Amino acid sequence: MNQEAKKITNNLYGRVNAPVVERCRVNFCTDLEKSVLMSNFERRGWNQVGPDDEWNFYWASTQTCRNLFSVESGYRMNDNQMINHFPNHYELSRKDLLVKNIKRYRKELEREGNPLAEKAEVALHGGQIVTRYVHLDFVPVTFVLPADYNMFVEEYRKSPQSTWIMKPCGKSQGTGIFLINKLSKLKKWSREAKTPFHPQLTKESYVISRYIDNPLLIGGKKFDLRLYVLVTSFRPLKAYLFQLGFCRFCTVKYDTSVTELDNMYVHLTNVSVQKHGGDYNNIHGGKMTVQNLKLYLEGTKGRAVTDKLFAAMQWLIVHSLKAVSSVMANDRHCFECYGYDIIIDNQLKPWLVEVNASPSLTSTTVNDRILKYKLIDNIISVVLPPDGVPDVRWNKLPNTEALGNFDLLIDEELLEKDEPSGSHSRGAKSKYK
Amino acid sequence: MDGVQEEAIHHTALKLADEIKHLSIYKSFYSDVQKLVSSPNVEKENFKQTLQQAMKEKGLDTKLRNTVFHWVRTQSKHCRLDPLTSLSKASAQWEKRIHKSLNSMCTDLETSLAKVRLQSEQDILTEKWSELSTYNLDLSKYRPVYAPKDFLEVLLTLSGYVPFTRDDEPKWEFAHLPLKVNKIDQLRKLFPEWSSGEPLLGVNPYMPSTVPGFSTLEAERISLGERVVALGYAPVVQEYLKKGSPQCLRAKLWSNVLGSDIKAPQVQYFNRLKKNVLEVDLMVDKLIFKDVQLTASNDDQYFVFEDLLYQVMLCFSRDVEVMQLLKGNIGNPPVVTIKGKQTSPESLTAFPPSGIIPFHGFTMYATPFCYLYDDPVQLYYTFRAFYVRYWHRLHYISTHPQGIVSLCLLYERLLEANEPLLWVHFRNININPIRVVFKWLMRAFSGHLPPDQLLLLWDAILGYDCLEILPLLALAILSFRKENIFQVNTLQNVDAVLADLSTISVIPLLQLALMKP
Ligand SMILES: Nc1ncnc2c1ncn2[C@@H]1O[C@H](COP(=O)(O)OP(=O)(O)O)[C@@H](O)[C@H]1O
Ligand SMILES: [Mg+2]
Repeated sequence: MNQEAKKITNNLYGRVNAPVVERCRVNFCTDLEKSVLMSNFERRGWNQVGPDDEWNFYWASTQTCRNLFSVESGYRMNDNQMINHFPNHYELSRKDLLVKNIKRYRKELEREGNPLAEKAEVALHGGQIVTRYVHLDFVPVTFVLPADYNMFVEEYRKSPQSTWIMKPCGKSQGTGIFLINKLSKLKKWSREAKTPFHPQLTKESYVISRYIDNPLLIGGKKFDLRLYVLVTSFRPLKAYLFQLGFCRFCTVKYDTSVTELDNMYVHLTNVSVQKHGGDYNNIHGGKMTVQNLKLYLEGTKGRAVTDKLFAAMQWLIVHSLKAVSSVMANDRHCFECYGYDIIIDNQLKPWLVEVNASPSLTSTTVNDRILKYKLIDNIISVVLPPDGVPDVRWNKLPNTEALGNFDLLIDEELLEKDEPSGSHSRGAKSKYK
Repeated sequence: MDGVQEEAIHHTALKLADEIKHLSIYKSFYSDVQKLVSSPNVEKENFKQTLQQAMKEKGLDTKLRNTVFHWVRTQSKHCRLDPLTSLSKASAQWEKRIHKSLNSMCTDLETSLAKVRLQSEQDILTEKWSELSTYNLDLSKYRPVYAPKDFLEVLLTLSGYVPFTRDDEPKWEFAHLPLKVNKIDQLRKLFPEWSSGEPLLGVNPYMPSTVPGFSTLEAERISLGERVVALGYAPVVQEYLKKGSPQCLRAKLWSNVLGSDIKAPQVQYFNRLKKNVLEVDLMVDKLIFKDVQLTASNDDQYFVFEDLLYQVMLCFSRDVEVMQLLKGNIGNPPVVTIKGKQTSPESLTAFPPSGIIPFHGFTMYATPFCYLYDDPVQLYYTFRAFYVRYWHRLHYISTHPQGIVSLCLLYERLLEANEPLLWVHFRNININPIRVVFKWLMRAFSGHLPPDQLLLLWDAILGYDCLEILPLLALAILSFRKENIFQVNTLQNVDAVLADLSTISVIPLLQLALMKP
């Protein structure tokens, strides 16, 4: 016991874990000179080179990545090169494509007669009975506009009193988002947006989603979760969940009254929105850790419901990834860290809002910086083979120490081999078979 | 010998039987028993036995036992009259200074200690009661009355009152005070669960259980804990807490061991406190607002609970029961007139009614409870019970073995005896080692440790019913970081080494401190 306790204290008190610095020559290239990135590369003793040089590790923008993989570029990567995006990440990160893929995934499972695609009738807030997937109902009902306008109107009529949220497909950070509670408002918007509802002519498409109007509130305020998910392969699927996510709080009390419908400080949790508010606090930046959220929920609502919520979030992540795994270009050189936006409703059900392929690496607070530094450090140690040099021939089975703050979400290869648990894995596994 | 003891028990029983009639639960309890007596379960022939059996079945038995438990705990063995007149003198002077400073702040700001709140203001306050963070107040001129470091300065002068100081001892040592504190060997006996290295919660989340049928220690503790909660017998709960509580049961266990469960009368009483806040404008209100703003509002662990904390802290200041419960321990608050009220007994108020003047960081005594209760009333009563049992000892001067002076002395003795090199190092760089840990002690580590660790620490305080854990933990942290402390030689740099406790695991450290090498 004595030994045991000592061992644990030793582990627990390592600050940001700093393994032996790898002094091998790794040439890195980056499109983004964020300090959380640069300080990680520096600590590893890596050497910075330009995009036209012989790089081994490229932290690229999504644009660069797409260019590199495009036929025109004619670029061929060698075995010692890795890059931080999949070329068609947008299958997951574009709001319209995400929903399209999930809808297709559910249909496929349904056609196969897979029990996962079970459906049942549920009562909406307004009392209407609708049919929903029992296990895969984790994105709010969503339509693409203008393409699915008629389908939207049909759904709208089922519960005319509900609120909808309009989001431009290609934008981020809360820009261009607004709420709608009347069809007339949507019609007015479409007139004003000038481009008539003709798919061919419209430049910008939107998604319209059922607004989660009953979010879980803490201290009366709405929040969403930012979780980080690392994917090192889509076929077989290998994904890891970072333990250190956070909640992003609104600065203004939640209020569903119509007069507040346009008040983005009430409804949108993006830091990029909230920081312009008068009540923004730049010491904590409106961010609370996911561990503390869990502590609070366990303390005030109990263990069973809290565990169920966290399991449901893992479930949601795994199935959103499975939904795109067949369409992703599963290049061996690629890995990607996604920022998942999740809203928890007051029934403690999690909803997937969107997936970002380039989650912000800007640090808004001291703790934010520490978190993002660890994130990058852990990503690098998971994606690189134990000798620290990029090599796509490696079997992508990181050992437990390399995981750092990542938990294994799923590794289909391990599941297939049905290896005895414990050797490589940590956390839940067989649940997602 | 036996006879003497029996006599003492008899005496206590008489006193208890008498005092229990004045406790708030008495009336409802008595009528419950009466109802039971008239039920068919209780037989006239076999009255005593059948009544006892029926009381057990109805849970009245546990209720009575808990009442006795809580009553006994309030009967302090410690003599209220402080044996060290020097300390009581210092304490009185300090109190005077605080009141003087409050008064001069009032004069400077051209306000008064107490006044009737304008109706318009009352309306706004009522409307904003659940979101007081949006209540606009200009607090730029208000300053906390005192901070931990001011209080420490006062404590450090205490040794000066003692005439016999040996030349070779630094003047700042608390050792000059004729108080007795435990040695590490005695602490080992006090905390056997730690010193013997028993499996405890908070060491390792995956620690396996030794009981068949449970995969982890945590699962085992939850299962046992659920039975303890169901039983609801306070001494058992207290025993259970020694090994740490799972977070999901903590709220119930804490309120049970402290007797802070709420019923209708408690809710009514809380509403009366609220009413008083709305009607009377006390100068401490501003200090409370200021303190919540300076602490919780800027803290990423607590900012979401800001609005809850305003309510709780404001009501606390109005709670006369706090003053009554702590009579003799916290000095005497001045009585002032409420400006704008017609002269009557009602126009006088103790300032503040609770008798407690908040210092910088006072809110931190309440913040961790936000992780257990989202109802302000339940939060209030558990916080209040904790304060009345423990926290007041951390910011009032007394010779009580659990008081801040004794805790400082204990820390000093422990450091000198167990980390002699560190002790010498502090001496060489001329830093009083109490300075680097005092704020931890005074705030019971709240705001310094992350909430999950803090709650484990407070479990232990409840379980062992003592505060000596605080200096022990301070020592353990210093031992743990000593290599880094040896590298630095200014107060500022030592503080920097100790500033970030976010990676500290409380229970393993306490175990390490007590396990024999
Ligand atoms: N369906 C919804 N229900 C409730 N809130 C939503 C919904 N969709 C988005 N939001 C809120 O709006 C914010 C921004 O939406 P998001 O889809 O993440 O777009 P962006 O790319 O601009 O960040 C989210 O973080 C969330 O707070
Ligand atoms: Mg987003």
